[in-house]
Amino acid sequence: MIVCGALVVPPTSTVYTPQELAHKLVALDYGNGTAYAGLQMLEGAMPREAVTTCAAATSPAERFAGLMRGDFEATVLQEPWITVAEQAGCRLVSTTFFHGTWVATRDVSAEAYAALLRAITRAVRRINADKRRYVSYFIRDWSGHPEVEALRPHDFNLGRIQLKEPGPIPENEARWAWEWMAGWGLLEGAFDVTTQINRKLEREANQLAAAVRAG
Amino acid sequence: MAMTMTIERVMAFMGLDVLVAKEEGLFAAEGLDLRIAALPPDELRSAAEGTPTKPTTNQGKLQARGEAQMFQA
Repeated sequence: MIVCGALVVPPTSTVYTPQELAHKLVALDYGNGTAYAGLQMLEGAMPREAVTTCAAATSPAERFAGLMRGDFEATVLQEPWITVAEQAGCRLVSTTFFHGTWVATRDVSAEAYAALLRAITRAVRRINADKRRYVSYFIRDWSGHPEVEALRPHDFNLGRIQLKEPGPIPENEARWAWEWMAGWGLLEGAFDVTTQINRKLEREANQLAAAVRAG
Repeated sequence: MAMTMTIERVMAFMGLDVLVAKEEGLFAAEGLDLRIAALPPDELRSAAEGTPTKPTTNQGKLQARGEAQMFQA
């Protein structure tokens, strides 16, 4: 699954571009992909020393509420809260996409992993064939939140809903991610692909799952 | 005999494919009994308690104690 993260400012903000967030407080849920996406969007627009962040809740509902209260200048949201924010008049000053990655224990068998990959591949094809139908899952995830319950499938920008059939992790991408995180002091040590990715299991499972990909 | 696998809870924003595969019986069709487990609410901690270099995260907690085989990061 590819995740869309959007850097969002409230309707009253004077900020229109990410560089205008230099030295302004941006709320990030440290330790999560949305926070790393936020740092990448900010550092692409300003020197690192101008990036100013604070810790925020993992829940995008809480980050959206904080944004609307004026607790901070901007935050990063994912769907369906990007759409909620747009409906509330907020502006997106930058968007990016990142991978959600599976982390498995050593005892996962190649056969079970292959079955998972085959099922997910079929699901990706179904969703890509009719994204409008499946965005209802975003609403279902957040039942009990009136802002989300008020959304309708046609409110979503389907360009932000991106799914890719699963496959092996390219080593260079894993290395770049590690080195980028180390550059921010979020990880220590050198990247070693043999300790981070079980290539044997990955290869066996992907080979077993290949038939559905060819189909 | 069906294979079983327990994964940690996924949200639609990063696990829409998993949720659709589960609901539409695609895992079962592959002979995989996929179970989705979630941390009890009283064990959830907020990322607001963390720092950039020492983040507070709930990801992987069930896996760490042997109650799930996979989680999304």
